[in-house]
Amino acid sequence: MFSLTRQERQVILFLMATALFGTGIDFLVKRYSPERRIPSFGQNIGRINLNTAGPELLEELPGIGQKLASRIIEYRDQSGGFDSVEELKQVKGITVYRFEKIKDSLCIK
Amino acid sequence: MTRPLVVLTIAFCSGIIFSRLCQVPFWAIFLPNAFILALILISRKTMRALLIILAFGLGAIFRVNAYNLAESHVLRSKLKSHLVVKGIVEDIPQIRGNRTIFPLKVEAIEAGNTARRSCGTLRIFLNGRPDFSYGDELILKGRLEKAAVMRVRSLSDVTRVSRNKGFFLKRVALWARRESGIRMQRYTSSLTSAVLSAMVLGEKRNIPWFVNNLMVRTGTVHILVVSGFNVGIVSFTVLLILKLLRVRRDTRFIITISCLIFYCLLTGASTPVVRATIMAVFFLSGYLIRREPDIYNSLSMAALFILVFNPGQLFDIGFQLSFVSVLAIVCLYPALSKLIAKYFFKKGWVKFLIDSLLISLSAWLGTCAFIAYYFRIFSPVTVLANLFVVPLATLITLCGFSLVLISLICPALGFAFGSSAEALVFILLRINASLADLPGACLKF
Repeated sequence: MFSLTRQERQVILFLMATALFGTGIDFLVKRYSPERRIPSFGQNIGRINLNTAGPELLEELPGIGQKLASRIIEYRDQSGGFDSVEELKQVKGITVYRFEKIKDSLCIK
Repeated sequence: MTRPLVVLTIAFCSGIIFSRLCQVPFWAIFLPNAFILALILISRKTMRALLIILAFGLGAIFRVNAYNLAESHVLRSKLKSHLVVKGIVEDIPQIRGNRTIFPLKVEAIEAGNTARRSCGTLRIFLNGRPDFSYGDELILKGRLEKAAVMRVRSLSDVTRVSRNKGFFLKRVALWARRESGIRMQRYTSSLTSAVLSAMVLGEKRNIPWFVNNLMVRTGTVHILVVSGFNVGIVSFTVLLILKLLRVRRDTRFIITISCLIFYCLLTGASTPVVRATIMAVFFLSGYLIRREPDIYNSLSMAALFILVFNPGQLFDIGFQLSFVSVLAIVCLYPALSKLIAKYFFKKGWVKFLIDSLLISLSAWLGTCAFIAYYFRIFSPVTVLANLFVVPLATLITLCGFSLVLISLICPALGFAFGSSAEALVFILLRINASLADLPGACLKF
């Protein structure tokens, strides 16, 4: 067969058999492997960290302009940082309506 | 039959084509194949036909399995949905304007309130210019779109979890690629460094459209990709240096093979480089174990290696052109050479010229139908253009390699190589422009 020696023929058959059954197993694993749940890892992704954000980043929030951004930073510097997102309400100009609009985009780290 | 790999590869490719044309379920191919394999194993006396059928079936099975997405695959998520994805950057990010594009190997996804393990690769389009590199582990929030694309609104939607993950050798290769690119930019103009990067590093992104257009019209665009020629230069140089250092023959081949694999990773492991690397490794291994290598078998081995990893490559224009051009040179050139020998006396420079012309003609004859079909272009000027362009490309590539090495050893000499490369690239473009302007040089339809 193909002018192969016995050893060469055995190697080719071994490779083909492995490829065939390997593909079969891979197909089954892909199709029937159960969903593997893991702990949440992306809760704060896309949220602005109130304790590190600069004015440009804060201005990306809806309803926050240059003036309010500088007031937030001023408050942060004076109080030594925010302990919770709710503390933002203490900043002059952050109304309840405004806070409700932006609270989901913020986090504290 | 002394070329078993050729027959088996043709059967494997036919299987891939068959599974594309006929939507056959996986088990409908797998079970008959398992039966044939059992038959071969039981009947000790292997029949050639059965082995060919087995290779055919394997081709079909590999393709069906490649398109069978795992249940946890990221592309099973709903399109247009917002996802949080955790994964590893797989290549050097490209920066286009204010946007960064890179492939991300997905490890986990979070949609809604559930996070789960996942797999697959996404192409990330991120607004902003972060300093990410290969091996960075990121968490991104973005929108999944068609063709495995994920758009990320801004840098605030990305967090880097860790650095230096991924394959160590690839990390080193990509670092070497970036450093080489920087050195080319330092000593040459943007146009020349773009051409050098394409020829030496396989980095084609910065080639201006008019240069690419010009090369396509004259049918010489193949010089802008890293191929067997570059692999040849690397192996020749490494072998020569090791021989001068009086390294033992076997060690010399093993080191050269390692260098070729590193160069393959450095150039991004595109199809022509992988093909050329496998062929070179096959040849060098042949010398190493003292067996005469066969070009058809090594070409088949390269095709099998690429198709086993990705059967879809068979329908890729790059794969087809790369293999068809080598096959055409291997098959047609000896026949044409024999034919010409009857009419011309080949010696010295005449021999070199006629041989160059015949190699170019063979490659053109092999690929012209593919180029006409895919690009709607027929360039009779290609044969003539390659006569001038290929030697020039050889010099430019050598200049590029030397520039990178010299700038490491003696930076003061870098400018000399840079200036030479500038002049050669200028001549290359002038010749291309003149040839493209010849009447009937390029026919579009």
